[in-house]
Amino acid sequence: MLVDLPGGWSPLLGRLAWSQIPYANPILAPLFVAVVIGAIIVLGLITYYGKWTYLWKEWLTTVDHKKLGVMYIIIGLVMLFRGFIDGLMIRTQQVWAVGPHSSGVFGSLHGYLTPFHFGQVYSAHGLIMILLAATPLLVGFMNIIVPIQIGARDMAYPYLNALGLWITAAAAALIMISLFVGDFAHNGWFEYAPIFEMQYSPGVGVDYWIWTLQLVALGTTLGGINILATVIKMRAPGMTWGKLPIFVWASLSANVIALTSFPALQVALGLVAADRYLGAHFFTAGMGGNLMLYTNLFWIWGHPEVYFVILPAFGMMSEIFPTFSEKPLFGYITMVLASMAIAGVSWLVWLHHFFTMGAGPYVNTAFSVATMLVGIPTGVKVFNWAFTMYRGRLTFNAAMLWAIGALFLLLIGGMTGMMLAIPAINYMVHNSVFVVAHFHSMLLVIVYAIFGSVLYWFPKVFGFKLDEFWAKTMFWLFSAGTALVFVPMYMLGFMGMTRRLEYVFNTGWQSYLDVMEFGIVVYTLSVLAFFILLYVSVRDHAKNRVGADAWGTSRSLEWMTHSPVPFYNFAVLPHINERDEVAWRRQHGIDNVRPEHYDDIHMPNNTGVAIILGGLTFVLGFALTWRIWWLCIVSLLAIIVLMIIRSFRGDPGYIVTGAELQRMEEEAYRREAQIADSHHSHPVSGGVVGNAMAYQRNDSSKRL
Amino acid sequence: MSHGAADPTMHPEVQLSTSKGYFLGFAISAFLMLVATFLVTSHSVPPFGLLMVISVCAGIAVIAQIYFLLHIDISEHNIWNTVALVLFIPLFLITIGLTWWMFSQLYLRTMDMSVMSSAMQPAVHASATPGMAAMPGMNAHTDSGN
Repeated sequence: MLVDLPGGWSPLLGRLAWSQIPYANPILAPLFVAVVIGAIIVLGLITYYGKWTYLWKEWLTTVDHKKLGVMYIIIGLVMLFRGFIDGLMIRTQQVWAVGPHSSGVFGSLHGYLTPFHFGQVYSAHGLIMILLAATPLLVGFMNIIVPIQIGARDMAYPYLNALGLWITAAAAALIMISLFVGDFAHNGWFEYAPIFEMQYSPGVGVDYWIWTLQLVALGTTLGGINILATVIKMRAPGMTWGKLPIFVWASLSANVIALTSFPALQVALGLVAADRYLGAHFFTAGMGGNLMLYTNLFWIWGHPEVYFVILPAFGMMSEIFPTFSEKPLFGYITMVLASMAIAGVSWLVWLHHFFTMGAGPYVNTAFSVATMLVGIPTGVKVFNWAFTMYRGRLTFNAAMLWAIGALFLLLIGGMTGMMLAIPAINYMVHNSVFVVAHFHSMLLVIVYAIFGSVLYWFPKVFGFKLDEFWAKTMFWLFSAGTALVFVPMYMLGFMGMTRRLEYVFNTGWQSYLDVMEFGIVVYTLSVLAFFILLYVSVRDHAKNRVGADAWGTSRSLEWMTHSPVPFYNFAVLPHINERDEVAWRRQHGIDNVRPEHYDDIHMPNNTGVAIILGGLTFVLGFALTWRIWWLCIVSLLAIIVLMIIRSFRGDPGYIVTGAELQRMEEEAYRREAQIADSHHSHPVSGGVVGNAMAYQRNDSSKRL
Repeated sequence: MSHGAADPTMHPEVQLSTSKGYFLGFAISAFLMLVATFLVTSHSVPPFGLLMVISVCAGIAVIAQIYFLLHIDISEHNIWNTVALVLFIPLFLITIGLTWWMFSQLYLRTMDMSVMSSAMQPAVHASATPGMAAMPGMNAHTDSGN
């Protein structure tokens, strides 16, 4: 052994022992029982209804980008819920443990969480919310929407897409199992050097953190490569760069950032792992190590990462505003340039996360100015959205409300961001809850955009709309919760309350903390409203069915195909004439045409390799965390062998014949005809209507 | 499409790769790594020289790996490699350059440079740190307020 392992190690089980399972913990033990019972019920129901074959064939082995996207979003929503529960626990501890006379239960002096447990809760909250909730949700939306918006039948690499999903799922599983086996990191979601070193954090928490993050980074990088290749290579005929839907541009800029920044995180984590597993001294305080180099390397990834999550959210807002303003997006070109500018500046500002390191006035000034530069393209975006709505025919449905909410939060978060970009202010509020309130405002922009998108694109994916009443109820409850939690948090930040307090020493802050606790209760009601929303919508789905153009005012290409989207997306690839193709076709009266002739198309086969590889990466992560070396070697070898076998076998794909396609299309058209307000379509010969080309010409070369 | 997507072996990346190339790339990097390891463990070169030699070794290894293992060159059919390279070079300069700048500024303020330099070059007296005295903030470690 290269490092001292406190607590023993055995060749068979590594550091794993019965004592690592917190069965005596009054919070975790009942939760564990509930989870086990819940899992047995779910598995029992699947068996009872005989759905295993369906599940395996249609979902677990699928390479369909829409189903993979849906599964990404499900993982994201589950983790969002887990992260929310962590937030609820943090708020409850802080409102409880105020002042020396506050009571304590469950072995805690104040409140109900011991400092060590509280540390794990806020660390898990941060990591989950950014990397296992926001990231999978956004990657899921990019997965579903980007190929349809550019008129492709699938991603460039369908199998790689499935692999990315299952590696992300493995990461989610790894952080969830840390609840019940061992413990999680207790030093913040981005950790600190040298407290994550072995002698200060001897448990497995930091190891869980390393491998969870490493797996997310791997999965997201694979997804990023896929989306870049898809956008560059798979666009429908006629879709030049200037006609690309704005969400695709946003995804493109975001994934350029992902591809270039995630390697920095993986290197940083690799070096932390070298410190903890091999006894290296990259980030120790002595022996030639430098602890600030860790912070530096982490934020070289970390700041681009926050723009990786905000740019797709901006893209979503840019899709929602025009649809419900019945106007084209104002300033398309400037919007594209702004996205690219934000992506570019994202590589230049990372030091603002540690202004107080003491790099001096020149360095701080340079990074301060660079940070403020972000405000210019972001301001351009805000004005573009405002001008899109200006004199538009606005429809205030739930999706639009979420988008407008995001806009207001962006103003608050952006303005406080400008304050924090000034080193003089930054020194004052450093590590206070003012910073916490700022970045929650920004991340809530993403959450608002995501919920807006869930409402906006749900009918496209599932063929029926979500219930407006409960969607609006959820929106208002969520917004009330946001105001009640984060306005007092900004105020407490100015009063000097530091972040991550498991015990609040100043009893003068009690009333603010009470308001925040009330706010989190309102948030809980909004979560409840979300569940009711799903229930009511699924119950009434027959009433809310929609045709291809669910909103009647849609603009981009995804609204041209059926809802729900068939597995092949487009039976015949459309020919793109204009930037907002669907709106253009509606204006020119060719929105209800359909192809006369169907060619054979080539589609990828399902594969079970991706989910097996995902399972093996989970085993590898678990074995590395607990230092079960034989299991590491076995799972790593299995991964390599499986990848080689898959690479040599490849996937020839299969052919959907033109006749079969015609049958499925006619069925879809028949179904659409039953929906009251949809238009009846008629076939066009040769794919040409008048002087406009509606579809890819039959005589042109076949594309995959 | 210019090449068949159905047959991955027809891709230019695959066409360019040869066993000899991979072996050569691996051998060169392994050899350079051995040289670096030997130099570090044997302490046969003074610290500053060691830093330089290892940096040069690392640089050559990077170029060998980029060329032999990743087949990144600036030819016509590998245009996307060139695009990636055009993006990579400024990013590399930004990350390394800005990191170097902020940490050199940080060290001026937080490290006792006389200790630093004597640790680097035991033979040279602490006062002989050329160029340092003129830099801003050089004497900040003696300031009480910093």
